Amino acid sequence: MNELINELKLKVIEALNLEGMTPEDIDDNAPLFGDQGLGLDSIDVLELIVLLEKNYGIRLATPQEGKEVFKSMAVMAEYVAANRKK
Amino acid sequence: MKHVSIPSGADLGALYRQVAGDYPKFFKMDVLSKLGFLLTEMLVADEANRFQPREDRAVLVFSREGCVANDRHYAASMPDFPSPALFVYTLPNIVSGEIAIRNKYAGETSAYVLEKYDEAQLWALVREAFQDRCTKSAVVAWIDCPSDTVWKADAWLVGREEILK
Repeated sequence: MNELINELKLKVIEALNLEGMTPEDIDDNAPLFGDQGLGLDSIDVLELIVLLEKNYGIRLATPQEGKEVFKSMAVMAEYVAANRKK
Repeated sequence: MKHVSIPSGADLGALYRQVAGDYPKFFKMDVLSKLGFLLTEMLVADEANRFQPREDRAVLVFSREGCVANDRHYAASMPDFPSPALFVYTLPNIVSGEIAIRNKYAGETSAYVLEKYDEAQLWALVREAFQDRCTKSAVVAWIDCPSDTVWKADAWLVGREEILK
């Protein structure tokens, strides 16, 4: 699981242009949205949905579903591990 | 009036770290918005009460090519997975909004796409913006960026008195 979390962190940093950030800067359990953690916004949710489909063949039906999946890197990695198609 | 410019092809990331450095959203912007953001930082960085919300400052951005550089990137992403982050910059007026949001300006924001750089036309439109009696100053920019690496980027901070004299 740690390997997948690290892989996801790298992909998120690249997809969201998180300039100057490394995987070590992202806490596995910190919230990705809101004022704490990464402070991502609604457009970032859409980019993460694209990232899951493109890289793992996972299609989220709605951005609301994404809110659950993208709670933290750890939660995202668990979801990817359980639902990935590639 | 104060004038600043950014040479074509300059390293915008390095310039950002030099003149701002506290606004990570910069890295998500298209080249048009990056240039508008940086020009404005250079113009107003030394102002007293920076970031105090104000309604008396307008943002007027002029260009010829608009956001065509980003439009091309977005078009290229469409056959695969259209990028939402690129899509949000497929309007040439987003740059004026980015400047207003960063600086808490609630005055007029406008973006004009002109056929060519026409100084007389540009300043006539600036004078129009001062007809509302609320606007006391304006960030005025000519930003023309046909690609991510080639541009003409100039900006002026102008006051009501010097425009309507």
